[in-house]
Amino acid sequence: MSEILRTSSLDAGYDSRAVIRDIQIEALRGQTICLIGPNGAGKSTILRTLSGMLAPVGGTVYIKGQDIRAQRPAGLARTLAVVLTEKLHVNMTTAYEIAAMGRTPHTGFFGRLSPEDRRIVWECMAAVGAEHLADRDFQSLSDGEKQKVLIARALAQEPELMILDEPTSHLDIRHKIEVVRILGELAARRGLTVILALHDVDLAVKSCQFVLLVKDGAIAAQGRPEDVIGEDTITRLYGINGASYNAVLGCVELENPLPPEAFVAAGAGTGAPVYRLLNRMNTGAASGILFENDVDFFVARSMGLTVVSQSSFTPIGPEKTREAARLLEQCRFAVDTGFPRGVLCQPNLDLLRDAAEKGLPVFSLRSPEDCRACYGDAPVRQLGAVSQLEEAARGKKADWVHDAK
Amino acid sequence: MGRQNAVRWMSWLSVLLAGTVLVFLLNVGLGSVNISLGDILRVLFGEASPAENAYLIIWRVRLPRALASLAGGAALSIAGLLLQTFFANPIVEPYVLGVSSGSSLFVALVTLGGYTFGVSRVTPVFLFLGAFTGAMLVMSAVLFAAARVKNVVTLLIVGLMAGYLCSAATSVLSAFAQREQIANYAMWSMGSFAGFTWPQVGILYAIVLATLLLSCLLAKPLNALSMGDRYAESMGIRVKPVRFAIILLSSVLTAAVTAFAGPVSFIGLAVPHICRILMRTSDSRILIPAGMLGGALMAGACDFAARTVVSPAELPLGAITAIIGAPVVVFLLTGREKL
Repeated sequence: MSEILRTSSLDAGYDSRAVIRDIQIEALRGQTICLIGPNGAGKSTILRTLSGMLAPVGGTVYIKGQDIRAQRPAGLARTLAVVLTEKLHVNMTTAYEIAAMGRTPHTGFFGRLSPEDRRIVWECMAAVGAEHLADRDFQSLSDGEKQKVLIARALAQEPELMILDEPTSHLDIRHKIEVVRILGELAARRGLTVILALHDVDLAVKSCQFVLLVKDGAIAAQGRPEDVIGEDTITRLYGINGASYNAVLGCVELENPLPPEAFVAAGAGTGAPVYRLLNRMNTGAASGILFENDVDFFVARSMGLTVVSQSSFTPIGPEKTREAARLLEQCRFAVDTGFPRGVLCQPNLDLLRDAAEKGLPVFSLRSPEDCRACYGDAPVRQLGAVSQLEEAARGKKADWVHDAK
Repeated sequence: MGRQNAVRWMSWLSVLLAGTVLVFLLNVGLGSVNISLGDILRVLFGEASPAENAYLIIWRVRLPRALASLAGGAALSIAGLLLQTFFANPIVEPYVLGVSSGSSLFVALVTLGGYTFGVSRVTPVFLFLGAFTGAMLVMSAVLFAAARVKNVVTLLIVGLMAGYLCSAATSVLSAFAQREQIANYAMWSMGSFAGFTWPQVGILYAIVLATLLLSCLLAKPLNALSMGDRYAESMGIRVKPVRFAIILLSSVLTAAVTAFAGPVSFIGLAVPHICRILMRTSDSRILIPAGMLGGALMAGACDFAARTVVSPAELPLGAITAIIGAPVVVFLLTGREKL
């Protein structure tokens, strides 16, 4: 693969004051490279320096092997196109006219569009799915539509490299995904190299082949997402408090640091909504006994819950059962999330039945029949939906234990 | 969509051209003195004797004035268009930014100063150079302010204040003017195409035509610049020289008009905006020709109204242009949320 952009010990900043030091980036044809990091870390500064809008404070940016500062603007514009964060102050200009601006480095002195130019503009509008917007006034478009048109404009320059500064900010989730997908397609199909900054970490990690973590005036790490993003990389990169980013699931969970009041017996993803509900109720939670390959295990751990876990694919031993029983005794109530019944899970059901018989309020999300099959005559209250748990947990046991029997 | 737009553009350009020709003919043909069509034709084809009344009125008064109003209108309209792109703001023009008033002040200085220092006759070129100096000085002040505050309204207020200051200084100067000059002076300082001499028309046309031609060459960079400096640069436009050219050309255009016709308001603002609406585009390649024709048409029509509405008396040109222009400013300001 051929190299499109390379930097050598680049320092980026303003007025000869370096904000980010020693940037080493190599962008190959067809690669998507994403800069992630907290606000103000210097992502925009790096992108502006890479696109030649800011002079490097030190070092050099090479575009196709040539120093960017030595290239003629019109020539550079045929290799490199940008999508910026700034708002456009255009009026009486259609989306097509904006996209057609991208032909500027290719047209003659008066900017006249040849039939070939027009064909390329239409093709670029089609590539981003914005053909139907062509005749609309640019200012009347939604943020997402504007962003697509601006990408079409950049594309109309027929660049080999596109640099985008936070192209998904202010967009709704559908347009965020569309923009990222469009960029991915352009990279895969046309061999376009894309360098961008993204706010959405999970989108970045899932869509880009290469990530650069920018923090505290330096590139903290760079490489393939699988190599760079560890379990708490993102949490540390952004200095997140009270929440954590789960690298396996690619999502953020709010932490629940409260002492456990509820014991949640879960599995196979039935636990996650209950954990989240308890968190919203400001109720501490513990969970068990979870197999370590269970999605509930990942979620519970991201939330910082007290977890009793068992190695994957192995039966639950008596030691774990005792540990869970001790935990259960400290709790005010227990929840059966309706996890699938299997031989391996039987200890969880036994734990809950014992607890119910000893007088601990136990709520089950199973169907009434299933509930009877699991607990027989034990005083377990069946709930129709997770949302009912909030009210049920507040009530007194005496109110319902009679009905259950 | 391309063909449809081309039809729209060509038809409106034809309408503007026809309108301009019509206004020119009206300006030559009608006035406070009735001259028959036959007499007009005789004068134009050189068959009338120079001693005739009709000859004097047509040749000395109406023709230079009609020609001057066309060139003046086109110049102001393009100056406005250039500045609107420069400031990324549809509400600026030479008059609003105080550039016209700066020019006037220096013209007044040159005129009155010239008399004081015993220069018996101030040449048109000298007047223009004075006007140009004034235009560039106010422009520099406005640019200085614009670099510090990015707010549109602040920019307008700075321009307005610069304009007031220069107008105030100009009226102080008028106290020193000789009695017989004052009437002319008052008319001129409110903007008027009256009293153009042939040498002045010649200078006006030479400067304005050359500058307008140069402005046409800026069409492509102007379009790119409408997306902002950064985008323009990323598309291979060298922004600094283009910005310098815009300031220079718009100052020359303003100065050329102001030197002889005084500060003429609002044409530079209303015409580009009306053209954008008619043409439904901001493409400079269309707006520049449309703005020239539209400016010529509007200035010609306003001058016609100024001369004929209360004939034989004359209305100040500024009154007519403001009646058309001021509502456009208000419309643009109130609609700005959408821009």
